[in-house]
Amino acid sequence: MFEYLIFFVFAAIAIIFALVVVLHRNAVVGALSLVVSFFSLAVMYVLLDAPFLAALQVIVYAGAIMVLFLFVIMLLNLQHVQEANTRPVQKFLGYTSAAAFLITIVYYILKYAAFTAPASPFRADAHQIGVSLFEAYVFPFEMVSILLLAAIVGAMLLSNRSIDTSESISTEVMEQPDGESGAEVTR
Amino acid sequence: MAFDVTDIALSILKIAIVLSAVLSVTPIWVWVERRGSALIQDRLGPNRVGPFGLIQPLADALKFLLKEDIIPTQAHKWLYTLAPAFGLLPALTTIAVVPWGRSFVIPQMQIAGYTLFAGGRLFEPIVADLNVGILVIFALASLSVYGVTIAGWSSSNKYSMFGAIRASAQMISYELSLALAAVSALLAAGSLRLTDVVWMQTGYFVLFDTIKIPAWNIFSPAMWLSAIIFTVSGFAETNRLPFDFAEADAELVAGYHTEYSSMKFALFFMAEYMAMGTMAAVIVTLFLGGWDIPYYNEPASFLGFVLSALAFVAKVTVMLFVFVWVRWTIPRLKYDILMRLGWKVFLPLAVLNIVLVALFIGKGWI
Repeated sequence: MFEYLIFFVFAAIAIIFALVVVLHRNAVVGALSLVVSFFSLAVMYVLLDAPFLAALQVIVYAGAIMVLFLFVIMLLNLQHVQEANTRPVQKFLGYTSAAAFLITIVYYILKYAAFTAPASPFRADAHQIGVSLFEAYVFPFEMVSILLLAAIVGAMLLSNRSIDTSESISTEVMEQPDGESGAEVTR
Repeated sequence: MAFDVTDIALSILKIAIVLSAVLSVTPIWVWVERRGSALIQDRLGPNRVGPFGLIQPLADALKFLLKEDIIPTQAHKWLYTLAPAFGLLPALTTIAVVPWGRSFVIPQMQIAGYTLFAGGRLFEPIVADLNVGILVIFALASLSVYGVTIAGWSSSNKYSMFGAIRASAQMISYELSLALAAVSALLAAGSLRLTDVVWMQTGYFVLFDTIKIPAWNIFSPAMWLSAIIFTVSGFAETNRLPFDFAEADAELVAGYHTEYSSMKFALFFMAEYMAMGTMAAVIVTLFLGGWDIPYYNEPASFLGFVLSALAFVAKVTVMLFVFVWVRWTIPRLKYDILMRLGWKVFLPLAVLNIVLVALFIGKGWI
């Protein structure tokens, strides 16, 4: 009974703040609403008896990733975002694909999801997750880490590249004397 | 799960004790900080209000209450008002997963005809003994960035903005070394539960079969380095000198809370001291043996609980004094040095230390 109450309160918070993310004009308010939404999602994990996942949800999404988003939004100082020049076709395509996605998700949830408790409750604690990561899923785990490494290296290369594409990628951009400092190049 | 009234009453009692302890850190430590800084700098410090200036924090609080509450016209009003609450929330809640005494069994009692604690009840002096305790601390610590960031952004002031950006960069950077330094202590305990981490430190290291040293993690040859890294990163995480770049009075007026006045400013002020208290408690729990009293075997009774809780408070007090001591001894670093220290010194050292601890565990030395 008590769990249902918590579930519905936090489900409502998650949905309302997810809507604020999409509908609010101010990017900073949007980012903060996403943090609240992620936090309520973490409460769902706690209700599902997975406190480890809940803690990771807050640390990784609400804590680390959203802080970086907020950081970038603040640096760009997006206070008055102008309505982008959208074509009607783009709007139409956007709405249809979103609707199609929603229908597909709802259909498969209704078709396959079992609305009953699993036969053997699986406690997703740190130990079990560690064991399955390093035994059953060690290959996908390593692949994901290589992918992330590639993304990091790529980002570093991109941010160091000079505007003049004929010049090869160099780290000397930062030291050019004629005012072409690294900060300007990466605009 | 069946709820028992005594369970709920015990939980409320624990929350009341912990909350009042955390809330009283601020006034007490404001006084200690001002008198301590005066001692270090060979001044007198506040000595007019009450004996030794002891009532000074009360006078300060009264002054905060009576000041005009100003919201700048250019500020984002909602976020400007919410920011102090965002800052205060993690500071108030983190302490819930820190154990502050030895557990004991409450014996069965007969009070006014009712039988309480039938068959004895184990009393764990911790608000929430979670099996992911340390992760909750990091989760809430990672949320504490928002208070500073939102405050800086919503004030529409460039100094506040600089403070906010510096603070977020600094806190993100030092969270990594903080977490990695904690990993070595957790690895040795084999658990994320903080009560386990403390129990692991209750024994002794025996040198040459004669000298007994308490088995606190800071005395372990494998972990003293992470203890240092964790403490220094803790200073950075709580925005204390020599890492107070979010405020940096000499450069940024008052940093992220430049525009704040009255109780809103007081809330930031309180949050800083509470975060300091929580950080000291976590350092004590992870590396200084928690509530363990050296060379004394606490009995599993009410007496043992009281003594161990007092030992915990004493250790936290010493650690908090180190915070004050360092603040008034070491000047602020340069910002690039702060970043270099975090990423190029502490991060690799913390990772190396994890490998060292793993080696010790593999050899069976821990």
